[in-house]
Amino acid sequence: MLSRSGAGKRISHLVNVLKATALSSYKEWAAYRNQMAVSVFVGPVFFLTQMFIWRAVYATRTTLNGLTLEEMLTYYGITAVIGYLTYDSADWNLQWLVRTGGFLTFMLRPVSHCFYAFAEKVGHRLLALLVEVLPIYVIFYFVFKIKLIPAAPSWALLSLALSFILVFLTNYCIGLSAFWLTRTEGLRRAFLTLRDLSAGMLIPLTFFSEGMQKVLFYLPFQFITYAPIRVFIGHYELAGITLPIPQVVALQFLAVVLMFLLSRILWYFGIKRFTGVGA
Amino acid sequence: MLITVEDLKKVYKSYQRGSSFGETLKSLFVRKPIYIEALKGISFRIDQGELVGFLGPNGAGKSTTLKILTGILYPSSGKVDIMGYTPWRDRKKYVAKIGAVFGQKSQLLWDIPPIDAFYLNKAIYAIPEREFKRTMEYMVELLDVEGQIRKPTRQLSLGERMKCEFIMAMLHKPEIVFLDEPTIGLDVIAKDKIRKFILKMNQRGVTFILTTHDLGDIEHLAKRVIVINHGELVFDDALPALRRQLGEKKIIAVTTIHPLPALDRPGITVTNRISTYQVELELDLTAFPLNEFIALVNKSSTIRDLSLREPQIEDVIKVLYQAR
Amino acid sequence: MRTNLRIYLAGVKTALASRMAYRGDYFLSILIMLLVEMAAPLITILIYENGASFPGWSMYEALLIQGVFLLGKGIAYPFFFGIVWNTVERVRGGAFDLLMIKPKSALFMAIVTGFDAEDLGKLIGGATLFTLALRRLPPPGVGEWLQFLALFLITLLTLFAYGVTLAGIGIVWIGNIRVYDIFNSLTNFGLYPAAIFSKPVQTVITGIIPIAILGSVPATVLLGRPSPGTWRAVGVSFLFLAGSLSFWRAMLKKYTSAGG
Repeated sequence: MLSRSGAGKRISHLVNVLKATALSSYKEWAAYRNQMAVSVFVGPVFFLTQMFIWRAVYATRTTLNGLTLEEMLTYYGITAVIGYLTYDSADWNLQWLVRTGGFLTFMLRPVSHCFYAFAEKVGHRLLALLVEVLPIYVIFYFVFKIKLIPAAPSWALLSLALSFILVFLTNYCIGLSAFWLTRTEGLRRAFLTLRDLSAGMLIPLTFFSEGMQKVLFYLPFQFITYAPIRVFIGHYELAGITLPIPQVVALQFLAVVLMFLLSRILWYFGIKRFTGVGA
Repeated sequence: MLITVEDLKKVYKSYQRGSSFGETLKSLFVRKPIYIEALKGISFRIDQGELVGFLGPNGAGKSTTLKILTGILYPSSGKVDIMGYTPWRDRKKYVAKIGAVFGQKSQLLWDIPPIDAFYLNKAIYAIPEREFKRTMEYMVELLDVEGQIRKPTRQLSLGERMKCEFIMAMLHKPEIVFLDEPTIGLDVIAKDKIRKFILKMNQRGVTFILTTHDLGDIEHLAKRVIVINHGELVFDDALPALRRQLGEKKIIAVTTIHPLPALDRPGITVTNRISTYQVELELDLTAFPLNEFIALVNKSSTIRDLSLREPQIEDVIKVLYQAR
Repeated sequence: MRTNLRIYLAGVKTALASRMAYRGDYFLSILIMLLVEMAAPLITILIYENGASFPGWSMYEALLIQGVFLLGKGIAYPFFFGIVWNTVERVRGGAFDLLMIKPKSALFMAIVTGFDAEDLGKLIGGATLFTLALRRLPPPGVGEWLQFLALFLITLLTLFAYGVTLAGIGIVWIGNIRVYDIFNSLTNFGLYPAAIFSKPVQTVITGIIPIAILGSVPATVLLGRPSPGTWRAVGVSFLFLAGSLSFWRAMLKKYTSAGG
């Protein structure tokens, strides 16, 4: 009885921390809202380029790699929306904190930094939903006539949420590398590019060679963008493997769990090193 | 006259910003402008070779004045003439003849030794090699940083870095040097060294204009003090006059044998009544002569101990800052 | 002019020395800069490998256009495009004032202190792609080379104008590093043969906003099939350059009158 109320207290404490942190991060980012709003220009312009390029490519054919022009454009439309919804700079923030020593202040707080950083992400993505995602969605829908409506809304939502967490955990792991490396700029950029490429942000993964696709299938990155898009469209295919949607989401969940474990392991050794060096 | 400033005014435009969720949401679309009068018309003159201290609470208009005088900022109105130049209009020609040290903005380059940054300034100010060497060696010796100028800046202590900032700012032999909180965060030894350096360069004819919150800087360096508050010039005179600003006052602490009477008379301001037998007060000598005060207290309560001191410069400054 | 060159070289020297303080990460960064730039060519190759194409253009022709685009960027980013981040960061941190107390124009000082050693990777990447693509194509004649060089010079001037414009935006739009995103999204069109786009798009990116001049216009000369509207593109570039400089002056004036 006692222990249950203890756990209840702990959960309500965490929820309060989440709310408070998310709200303050929302306000903090609100000061930079016009930076965020740049996306309302940049997103559609990037999309416009894609549209014209693919129109040219499709001028002499109706399908490419099994995708019609319309499907291809939908692919890029969802990519943009997922990109803005799940974006975070947890990697950059964490490495900055470690490098400047500001990380110390988090060691003094009764909440894990990871949870705090996640709450921050919730806050600024909430703002992004208003400032970036909704306007872009409206532009896609009415200007470009890209009807971004998921095949199975609840599965798509779940998949999106998992992608949201997965992006965070991946970036957090990159940020944790700062415990070992003084300057991680180069590594970060390399990793982010590789991540985007193997997540299908730049081009659908089915464009890669058969062998590459097999490798990509076993990497967790496809679950960041590629898998959610496929769930959104309602049809999954990679490396010649087709999977039913619930299975894709289940695999995505598995990727989240694995990434979480990885972040805990890196954290354990990183903190050991940090407190050892910092003393 | 080296520097003439007449009726300098500056108005900033800023935007209001709420902090609640609703206000934040609202401010996405509408923003309310606010106008802030940073300088409400200040005038002063400074002669060649002076060492003037600028004082004022945070947000009083010191930085704005300094930015205008260094050619960074346009004023809203008013006239500035420095060595025949109007700083913001003749910026490039003008700034070649001045130097500036900002205690919180480094001109050195973090990852490379100060001497490499010096060479960059050598190129920018087109300083001839021999002159550059001579000036640098002179200042390096004066500031005692021979061992430091070849180490990466990030490995230097704050004091060593600040000394190098001074060299960086003065390699081109400026006639006027602006200092913005040059001793912030330094230990006493480094402060002392830098103050001595400033005095030495001042003796050689360099005019210094110094803004600071460190009254020690003012006491050790400035022969003249200008105090700015709420965008207005509230004091401009020599340092001793600043002390006299409050009138002839003494700070007195007195302990008696018998209980003290109520001391509510004109000229006496009790600052701290420690006990029935012990009190600290401020005595205005023009309203209440010292001998009368002593006689009064001794007669009523018999003095056991009494100490007298001059008001500190801080006391004066506090009064000036708090005035509305 | 000679003093200015000396100042610029001194700036390059200090920037290189600064970056060399972290040598290990530097060479890694250069390599990565090179790879990051290869995203567009990679997609192009993937499109061709999947049996599709940009109609009317062989893969190596398309890659040459991207090579020219990346070569231009590879020269611009290290040598003068740093004015953008340099200005944005200095205005945000208050260190822009330090440029203002130097006896040179603020723009020149922003170039001098904005050399970006890391971006030399972009130059290597652009040069590599350009050379590799060119080797797979029939060699251009001397006349074509000369025309190309003249146009490529204008490519660089246009990139400079973009840098000046973005830095100008950075003065008033405080701390907004996203100006790079604006630039990248707009110039993304320049990575592809202008002719594959619809007529109105072609007109916009050639004759209204100087985008095709960044890749397609100079590259097609080298391919022996000059783009229509080349002269107009050149004219637009010069107008843009003049406009960007007066924009910078206006923004600088705003900075000096408003105070950062």
